[in-house]
Amino acid sequence: MLDFLARVTIFCFAASYGVALALELWHLVQPRPILRYVAIGFGAAGVLAHLFYVVGPATGGLSLVAPAGSLLLLALILSIFYVYGSIHHHRVAWGLFVLPIVLGLVVLAVAFPPAATDSQGSLWSLFQGEKFWGATHGVLVLLAAVGISVGFVASVMYFVQAHRLKAKLAPSPGMKMLSLERIDAMNRRAVLCAFPLLTAGLGVSMVMLFSPGAGAWNWSDPKILSTLGLWLVFAVLLYLRYGVHVRGKQAALWTMVAFVLLIVALALPHPLLGGGP
Amino acid sequence: MKLLLVGCNYKTAPIELREKLAFDGPKLPTALRELESRYGCEAVILSTCNRVELYLARAHDQPLPDHGVIAEFVSETHRLPIEQLQTSLYAPQNTDVIRHLFQVVASLDSLIVGEGQIAGQVKRAYELAHEHGTVGPILHALFQHANGVAKRVRTETGISRGHVSVSSVAVDYVRQVFDHFGDKTILVIGAGKMGELTLKHLKDLKPHRILVTNRSPEKAMEVAKGCGGEAMPWEKLDDALVEADIVLSTTGAPEPIMTRRRFSDILARRAGGTMVILDIAVPRDFDPRIHDGDRACLFNIDDLQRIREQTLQERHKHIAPAEAIIEQEVTRFENDWLRRRHGKVIALLTQEFETRRKLVVEDLMAHLNGAVGPEDRARIEYAFRKLQNQFLHGPISALAEEAPEPGRHTLLEALRKMFRLEE
Repeated sequence: MLDFLARVTIFCFAASYGVALALELWHLVQPRPILRYVAIGFGAAGVLAHLFYVVGPATGGLSLVAPAGSLLLLALILSIFYVYGSIHHHRVAWGLFVLPIVLGLVVLAVAFPPAATDSQGSLWSLFQGEKFWGATHGVLVLLAAVGISVGFVASVMYFVQAHRLKAKLAPSPGMKMLSLERIDAMNRRAVLCAFPLLTAGLGVSMVMLFSPGAGAWNWSDPKILSTLGLWLVFAVLLYLRYGVHVRGKQAALWTMVAFVLLIVALALPHPLLGGGP
Repeated sequence: MKLLLVGCNYKTAPIELREKLAFDGPKLPTALRELESRYGCEAVILSTCNRVELYLARAHDQPLPDHGVIAEFVSETHRLPIEQLQTSLYAPQNTDVIRHLFQVVASLDSLIVGEGQIAGQVKRAYELAHEHGTVGPILHALFQHANGVAKRVRTETGISRGHVSVSSVAVDYVRQVFDHFGDKTILVIGAGKMGELTLKHLKDLKPHRILVTNRSPEKAMEVAKGCGGEAMPWEKLDDALVEADIVLSTTGAPEPIMTRRRFSDILARRAGGTMVILDIAVPRDFDPRIHDGDRACLFNIDDLQRIREQTLQERHKHIAPAEAIIEQEVTRFENDWLRRRHGKVIALLTQEFETRRKLVVEDLMAHLNGAVGPEDRARIEYAFRKLQNQFLHGPISALAEEAPEPGRHTLLEALRKMFRLEE
């Protein structure tokens, strides 16, 4: 069994997601329920292989320290979101929106191969001893990243649906979508969940930075700057939503900016979890 | 099986004639009973606003009345001169009747292709005939099969996809913008007849409240009373628009009542989300430039008609696959029917051979008078049974091969005569 798990590679789940996306595209052109069901099957197989890869012997437990680890974990959570969404709202074209992001994250993870020091920070060992707070910070930011990614998916969906409404297109059986109101609510909830997690994650990192015994941190580190930028964008987004009641396309646009900053932050090496500069 | 259909539809007869030929009220049961008693045939009458059709059936060896006789029956029932009907009636027979019924029930022969009502109307026609005892085994099998054909065509093709009435298309659009309606306000501007059905559909969404405004306060009150809404003075139109989520505008105003500039001021006052405006007035009530697909989604009568046409065009693409399914089902129905008939002959043939074999074996055993033991007796019985099966194999296989060719019953008749098989 372990031998089998050890043979799971990134290609296994990326190919499954790729086939699922191809089937979704086929369904867009020639809507047939069977295509959607087969796509969900491939997506679920991809999730399983992805899970084995993340926790299995192939990686020896994935490292959160490396950008590759964070990106693959985020991709895994989003692919679970895709499978759940497709089963729960099987008529909605989730795959067309979520799978490209999942595949993009996997490609980014491949582009940032783990460094030689990464093995010291496996997922489970990170929560032991003095690394606990660093791991807590990482997990909180990762969960916030899930919220931001879901918000990004909702924002893209919002733009597509608004475009369809603006062009006054007839509802397409191959690309059924949630209503504009539902998509906006999905975006709002995702942002509302992500912000406290991100704030808490950054709070933990601040405590760590200012704690006695902490070394001198480079505040101009791109990772720290992009994470702070992300938090600021979020704060602005929340103010716009609840302070001046900005909705729709503007809110969607700000969420997309937050997602870009998130990807930058995740793609950069981590100074805290990696042991600092 | 002999089938005859005599009828007319929207393609062959004008509405005035179809109205006169309708079998409504007590006419239907009377006509069904008359058809059965006069001509001794099974009968189903399908009478809708777009067609009047009499389906008649008899067993294969009994003659059906001529279509001219049935035309006279229709003329007599409705007290119309036969000359008035003759050019409008069609009278397909046998396989063409099966094909026609399947096309009708699958809504390929409807005025609006893919409409869903006809399948229910055919089912109801069958049920009524069944209640009055004019359905026999042939029409029972045919209409049951037709029911399955309608379902198959609907699920395997996109023939019934989308909506084609303006009011349904309008509600489809509202549903693309909003998810729930319990907190939504609908504003009805004007009291045009065009908007009545759309308002009914919108009311079915169970909105939080309905506001009605009209230049005439009396008309506003009347419409508000009819839909359970609140009337608002015409002067407060802008205030009502600020509160509204869905607007249904059907005034008879000669010029737009809402300019882009006036609407911008209203949008600036709104705290809510997107507003959907269904402008089904002619001429239009709202300046089309206010539509942005985000804060204001405006659909006027032209947009709604265009989408309706698109849906119909899309449905027409599915006619060919639906026709292919119907051809398959026509063949399947005929083969099933023939097999059912052949099944009876095969059963009689087998039974006849079985009886004769038993008699021969018993006669032989009596003659041998206990000279053979139980083992040899079983062996002899087995040999005779094997011989019987070998004899029957040829005729049964030939019958099975004949089944896919409807209309040819020579072998069946030959077997009946050769072996003197009586049902």
